[in-house]
Amino acid sequence: MMEFWTDPLPVLIATAFLGTVVGLFLWPRPRMLKIWMLLVTLAILLTLIAVSRRAGPAAGMPLLYLLPLAAFVSLLAQPAQEESRISWLMTLILLGLGLGFLVSERSLGLMLLVSLLALLSLLLYRYKKLSRPQLWWGVGIYGLGIGCLVVSLVAAPPISSVALLLTYSVLLPLFPFHGGYVAALAGLPGNVSAFLALLLPTMGFHGVLTLIPDAPVGIMHTLLILAVSGALYGSAKAMVQCRVVNTLAYASLAFFSILWWYLTTTLTYTPQAAVYLSAVGLVTGGLFLTWHSVQVRYGDVDVNRIGGLARPMPQFATLLSLLVMAAMGLPPFGVFSGYMGMLLNPSIALSGFLLVIMVTWLAASWYFLSLLQRILFGRHRQDIRYEDLRHTETASLLIILLILVAIGIVPARFFEAETPTHGYGTAMESNLWKK
Amino acid sequence: MLYVILVPLLPLLAALVIWIAGRHLRERSAKVGAPAVVAAFLGAVVTLVVVSSNGPINIRFYDLASGTSFRLPMGFYIDRLSAVMMVLITGVSTIIYLFSMRYMQQERGYSRFLALLAVTTFVLLCMVSSANLLMLFIFWQLLSWLLYLLSHNYSHPATMEGAFKTYTLLRVGDVVFLSGIVLAHALYGTLEFQELFIRATEAPITLSLWPGSSLEISAVTAITLLIFIGAMSKSAQFPLHIWLPDALYAPTPVHALLHAGIINAGGFLLNRLAPLYGLSPTTLHVVFGIGTLTAFLGACMMLIQNDIKKTLGYSTIGQMGYMIMECGLGAFALAIFHLIAHGLFKATVFLNCGNVIHKARQEPNFPPEDPAGEGGEFSRLTWLTGFITTLILPLIILLTTHGILRIPLGDSQGAVIFLFFTWVTSSQAILTLTRLRAVASWKVAAAMLLTLLVVVFTYLLAAVNFTYFLYPDPDEVAHYFQAAALPGWLFDCLVAATTVLITLGWFFIYANAHGRTIRIPQWVEMLRVRLYVLFMNRLYLDALYLRLGYGLMRAVHRLDKRYVGWLS
Repeated sequence: MMEFWTDPLPVLIATAFLGTVVGLFLWPRPRMLKIWMLLVTLAILLTLIAVSRRAGPAAGMPLLYLLPLAAFVSLLAQPAQEESRISWLMTLILLGLGLGFLVSERSLGLMLLVSLLALLSLLLYRYKKLSRPQLWWGVGIYGLGIGCLVVSLVAAPPISSVALLLTYSVLLPLFPFHGGYVAALAGLPGNVSAFLALLLPTMGFHGVLTLIPDAPVGIMHTLLILAVSGALYGSAKAMVQCRVVNTLAYASLAFFSILWWYLTTTLTYTPQAAVYLSAVGLVTGGLFLTWHSVQVRYGDVDVNRIGGLARPMPQFATLLSLLVMAAMGLPPFGVFSGYMGMLLNPSIALSGFLLVIMVTWLAASWYFLSLLQRILFGRHRQDIRYEDLRHTETASLLIILLILVAIGIVPARFFEAETPTHGYGTAMESNLWKK
Repeated sequence: MLYVILVPLLPLLAALVIWIAGRHLRERSAKVGAPAVVAAFLGAVVTLVVVSSNGPINIRFYDLASGTSFRLPMGFYIDRLSAVMMVLITGVSTIIYLFSMRYMQQERGYSRFLALLAVTTFVLLCMVSSANLLMLFIFWQLLSWLLYLLSHNYSHPATMEGAFKTYTLLRVGDVVFLSGIVLAHALYGTLEFQELFIRATEAPITLSLWPGSSLEISAVTAITLLIFIGAMSKSAQFPLHIWLPDALYAPTPVHALLHAGIINAGGFLLNRLAPLYGLSPTTLHVVFGIGTLTAFLGACMMLIQNDIKKTLGYSTIGQMGYMIMECGLGAFALAIFHLIAHGLFKATVFLNCGNVIHKARQEPNFPPEDPAGEGGEFSRLTWLTGFITTLILPLIILLTTHGILRIPLGDSQGAVIFLFFTWVTSSQAILTLTRLRAVASWKVAAAMLLTLLVVVFTYLLAAVNFTYFLYPDPDEVAHYFQAAALPGWLFDCLVAATTVLITLGWFFIYANAHGRTIRIPQWVEMLRVRLYVLFMNRLYLDALYLRLGYGLMRAVHRLDKRYVGWLS
């Protein structure tokens, strides 16, 4: 796998960073800057496609395609406003760092990861949209992640592996190390959080897969219990949030806890897990973009003060309903396919934990539907001039929905390589847990 | 045989066209949808004819050999059961669609409504013709969502609340159903119907309820029980029935579709999995118990409603209880027969009730009161007619069934209960008629008795033939009846209790009619009042669920407040 990944690395990182530098020259012209950013993300996507065509099919490759695509739609949904410029640049930098981590060798990858975590901490501090405890908890968790990465570089196995696992559990949110992820989603501007909803878990997933297969049983049991606790905790927290962004962030934690449960049960890479990961990431991103479109129009309002959008904003209502449908795990969207694929995997053990996973699934229907009703239904306010979605916003949400449907109906076509020449399975490093 | 795919696809195509071009089409949306639904109905009829003569149609868009691989297994398996259901669904949909074209014309969301109706028809058709359990579950879930969309009205708070409750309860059923599917797949490695039945028959598995404990349950029982809970939610069985009366604010055509089509999903599911249910007497007994309870409670709650739609809603709950009870007795085909009859009847009643309500609002004296009232003396003729109906007629039916139809009543509890049901129904009919004092002359009485005889025998013959049509193998039918057989003492007690209740009912009416006073103990009177209040408040189940929900939310809120900042 490493041979495959190493090739495109300089091109990808260079494209992302050069794109950012050129973007700085377009700073005074937001519209041009946005177009430029979109072109750069498309160029990165095309590069990845070209490279993969040359190298042949590989497990995990669709996740790489999805990252520039997610960056593209998150940028597309933004209005060309001056205050959005910094978040556009940040999206590109984060994309470069994320792709760099995913395709580079270990040491360089970890350095890029440190940069990414540090950047996220800075961004959280700069935007200060969160309450003080949530902000500092988030920054602290990223600090823990960076600290663990440093330990993993200097310590010997198995301490280095435990430290790495902790860092990855900051990225692919695992209770109680989810604070950074939740803070990033709830505290950063709309398009950045929408993109991070897919980027961070993908990076964590990639990292975890290199550690899990040979992990000691005790660690696996601990992770399993944390995953199940996280599923319950995330669901409970999502139920009681007043802010929409918090609900979405905690819901995402609950969903990714299901993925942790699956990984700790099966101990290997399966396409089902990749489908689930991408679908949950995309649908969370889509929901963030949808809510961001409300925030752009009416400010960071309480959901209870802006209800009744179904009538004045029909396009918004339709797309939000479809996204909520996907988030609740209804067919034909990818979340359902991934979830069913995981549950029907023969290596899943029947245990009481399965019951918790089912309850988490049920709870999602409850809070997502409640959210939908609060946003769309009831009487709309007469003192507000409503405006439905713009074309770019509609297009970005439609792209997300189409991808979700595509990976929902024919997941195997995208995620199950006919002849996986470079799978995660072959990349597992067996000496990570031995002294 | 690929043409059968057109039956579900036509409504879907119509829905897509209406959805995309609805704004431009406006009133013409119906002209797109109606022909598609009518064509689907005709296609379903042709499919029924073909399936009846040539056997099941099997179309799969996936490789059976790679059953556990990572693909959505889409396909169609259309046997007689599916074909009958397809005709029922498309038939009811056609009637409702044609009705809605005028009825809903002035509504703001006319196009959206018609598109949703067409999509619901598509989903129902795909559900009943699913090639495997997973595909069935996919459309089962979509049906829950569509029910939410159809029953909500975003400008009416009570409707929204009802729709939320509907979806939440249906989702509970969906999740438990999913658990059954996961268990079935984990234990038998397949979700293909026939393969699953064969493996479950050949390899009985026992599960421990708790690791290390001696409490064990048969795997088939566990699977069927879990799936049955899914069926309970869709078919409004106690205690998951409370969503149905709350869906009252939906438009009239939605009611008709709901009560005539969607709610039958539970009965269909049990029939589709009949071979699996036939392996678990325990589950069948539970099914019988839940069905009986629902039938009883539904009927009781129906009696005290003062709203026509609520009355019909609880009547549906009661009828669904009967249908599920029939499944619990092993009379799977009769359940389908029942749901078809009920579906057609209830669709008609619901489509009419809007007019009745409208008329009642316009005319204060509608319905007109009977000047003679219901009280007064009954003639001897009335009593004689009642006597013949409730005692002589059942005896004739019993002897005919035993002698002519050759149904071994001694071995077949299901058949006895079915006969019993016929008796109860005919008694109910005659009691209603005598109350209205319709039996005024010998000619009327004779005509009534004759009609009743013809109806009952036609019903019996139709039911027997229908059973043979759906389950041509008599051994299979006998196997289901045997599996569902209740313990002898329990069965005798049930029959005896029902007999005593009906006789007491007669006695009570007779004494009342003759102005005799019946001494009823005080506690019975009090019980009657309490039961009235209890049923009036729907057994306080709504309040209980609400309190549970609030309690849970309060606990979570309290935890969240106490540990604010922690682990955030």
